[in-house]
Amino acid sequence: MNKKIIAGIMAVTMCAAAAFTVTGCGGGKGSGHEFTVLAVKEETVKDYNDMQVFKDIAKETGKDVYWTFNTSTQYSNNTDPVGIKGIDAIYHSGFSNLKLNDYGKRKRIVAIDEYLDSMPNFKKILEDRPDIREALKSPDGHIYSLPRVEEMGLKTYPNILFLNKKWVEKLIDNGNMPEGVNITKEQLVDGLDISRNEFKAILQKFKDNNMDDSIADNDEVPLAFVSDNWQGNESDFIASFGLPENRQHKTLVNGKITFTVEDEKWFNAIKEMNDWYNKGLIRTAAFDQDQDTFLAKGQDGRYGAFYWWEKNTVVSKDKRDDYIVVKPLKDDDGNRYVGPSNELEVEKSACVILGTCKDKAGLLSYFDKFFEPDYSAQINYGSISAGAFLPEKNADGMLVPNDDHGAQSADDFRMQNAAYGVVYLTEEVFEKNVVMESRAKLRKEILAEHVIPYTYPGAEPIPNLNYTESELKILSQYEATLGKNIKSYMTNAIIGASVPSKSDWQKMISNNRNSIDKIKKTNQDAYDRYVATIGKTN
Amino acid sequence: MVKSEAVQATADISTESADNDLLVEEAYEAMGSDRSGNGSAESKHPKWEKWIENFKRRGWILVFILPALIYVLIFCYGPMYGILTAFQDYMPGDEILGSNTLWVGWDNFNTFFSNPNFGSYFLNTFLLCIFGFIVGFPLPIIVALLLNSIRKPKIKKGLQILYYAPHFISLVVLVGMMKLIFGSDGLLDQLAIKLGGSENGLQLFLKPEAFRPLFIFSGNWQDFGWSAIIYLAALAGVDPALHEAAKVDGASRFRRIFSVDLPAILPTIVMLMILSVGNLMSCGYEKVLLMQTGGNLETSEILSTYVYTFGLMDGHYGVGTAAGLFNSVINVVLLIIANFTSKKLANQSMW
Repeated sequence: MNKKIIAGIMAVTMCAAAAFTVTGCGGGKGSGHEFTVLAVKEETVKDYNDMQVFKDIAKETGKDVYWTFNTSTQYSNNTDPVGIKGIDAIYHSGFSNLKLNDYGKRKRIVAIDEYLDSMPNFKKILEDRPDIREALKSPDGHIYSLPRVEEMGLKTYPNILFLNKKWVEKLIDNGNMPEGVNITKEQLVDGLDISRNEFKAILQKFKDNNMDDSIADNDEVPLAFVSDNWQGNESDFIASFGLPENRQHKTLVNGKITFTVEDEKWFNAIKEMNDWYNKGLIRTAAFDQDQDTFLAKGQDGRYGAFYWWEKNTVVSKDKRDDYIVVKPLKDDDGNRYVGPSNELEVEKSACVILGTCKDKAGLLSYFDKFFEPDYSAQINYGSISAGAFLPEKNADGMLVPNDDHGAQSADDFRMQNAAYGVVYLTEEVFEKNVVMESRAKLRKEILAEHVIPYTYPGAEPIPNLNYTESELKILSQYEATLGKNIKSYMTNAIIGASVPSKSDWQKMISNNRNSIDKIKKTNQDAYDRYVATIGKTN
Repeated sequence: MVKSEAVQATADISTESADNDLLVEEAYEAMGSDRSGNGSAESKHPKWEKWIENFKRRGWILVFILPALIYVLIFCYGPMYGILTAFQDYMPGDEILGSNTLWVGWDNFNTFFSNPNFGSYFLNTFLLCIFGFIVGFPLPIIVALLLNSIRKPKIKKGLQILYYAPHFISLVVLVGMMKLIFGSDGLLDQLAIKLGGSENGLQLFLKPEAFRPLFIFSGNWQDFGWSAIIYLAALAGVDPALHEAAKVDGASRFRRIFSVDLPAILPTIVMLMILSVGNLMSCGYEKVLLMQTGGNLETSEILSTYVYTFGLMDGHYGVGTAAGLFNSVINVVLLIIANFTSKKLANQSMW
């Protein structure tokens, strides 16, 4: 009898285990579809299978493509996404250069350049744009991923400084303006021209007074930003000391890779930030909050000034007019500087095709359609039928974005309806085929008028460079460490109770000397090769 | 870590009793008698015979070890072949032993050791663990001795529950609580700002010098009561007659702790000490990662967080394995040293 019981238990366990295996890994094979593509997508975004633009492309190419999804958390927790059974491609794969190289080397992802005959659009792009071709190449000369190209000229300058005009007006009304700062109400329009010291004096008044008439008199944040974020960071503030600063502290100046942290001006900037911090003008939150917290806190207009991409996402609708654009802060000599960021408009790894795909040429001919302007636009902003664009093209034959989404904000609409990913929207496309969104146009105008003219002389973003395998390894080893070390030095120096000492900064530099030199040399070598292959960018 | 110590301790106790059993057997043997009554002279290998006979009679007890044994085999020894990836250019999906395996020799170790921050990661790990050990090891012993000498059982029980309750708080919740108290805009900083003096409060979570104290004291606050349970169990085994005798001799309560209780739990202490020294360089990355901020990286980046971020998150699996292997080797060396030392000094050891 005992044996029977044990056998029974075993049988039940086995069945349970078997059932688990079957259901647990279920849903893998896209039942009977020609291709299955895994896309990284949040729950809030519409199902790609229901997006009209993908239906249209499938119809035109005659391919039967089924989309499955992973959330970004699921995806990043998967150590081997390429090993997922039953998929033919990964959309929004987001692999690093090193990973693309590693997978390519093992032939687990497809060398796309071998299928150019079935990709007329992509082939033409590579011929027309040698910089994109170079950017996409892996160390072995193959192209392992489809790119995302969106050239609106916005990403190079991810920070704009905004100031709370209402609060300044209040100071003027109360005769409470700091001494030596002569600003009239008429001057309080976009493009306010102000020096760093005047700005500091005004922020000090924001700090000392109850500006927003709230009961809690300490809830005003004089200057807000998100440290080390890709947008709205402190780079422009540091740049005002005469540096081409950006998030990586690394810029291309007149063809030479330079690190800003080595410059004593950088240390002076940190010293000044420490002073601002200890005077309460910058809050600790700037260093430990994430982007979402920053945005949530800003809605009710308690920021005296802030750095961000645009003001509309930060401040709620009724307070938006309270804020004006401030030109980059003047230094003591009356000069202004802004550092270009290294955020590039050509991104690698928007999509990879897996080595296990049965009909690689077929699937690539489907993805090739993504590069056509009308499809690109709809992938990037939402389908025409969903209301992202007006149903009729304008007189010039261009798609016109629809700005009216009812109660929904433009941001929310796009988040929900656009797939993003593989697109080809160059400057030319925005001139000939697609009218730019009005908010992008607005931002472009602000940048052109108030920011770009003050770019540090000779500075430009470091382009997508083509590294060798050993260079990639060097970069992957030293870049992360250096970034961490600089960040930890910066945070400690700024939030320290005492004035940062020059010797500490020198010590930090000498401790990281090896990393800085290695990264600089690697970048420079790759850049020199880049210039030799395709000539200078501009 | 504490849980495994507890398991280990029970295992120790059982091996001890097994040892005792053996001693009894040996004693019988020495006396030349045989408990089972069979003449041992007939067999050529009396020891083997006895063993088999013993096994037949009491072998079923071994079934109790089986789950533990299977667990250890599957989850501890089974995956060990993965160590080979420390010598490979490995990524998930690769064969570990196959024709396509990319062997790279000591490259991963070179990458790891040539990391500009290697020295500081090593030092941070060592300091965090050694301070944790210095504070965390004696604390439960003292608490157990004090609890044991409380006369009223109700108070004793109550205090004991009070002390070990925090053990059941999950790490995420614990760090969340710490941030509410010590973080920016936390209780402490609000007080500091309200009472004047500083503009921004203390910002302990962003200060590198505050990381170790916060980590160690929160860890000990959470676990001292739990770790004391093992010692309390050992203390429960002390013969009351010894205490009676000491009382008769006029020993004070304090004196009895030192002369009766402490010697009684000394073997347990030594055993646990050897085990903790063997775990010295592995403090677990979860809590460290949770407590890490841009400000305290200088002290909060340790070997295991490096393995996690660089090895797992950034996909350098080979280097991550190499770093982990290095850490384990140090632990084994420490374990051997601790065991050897205790063998020499206290005549007590694990093997």
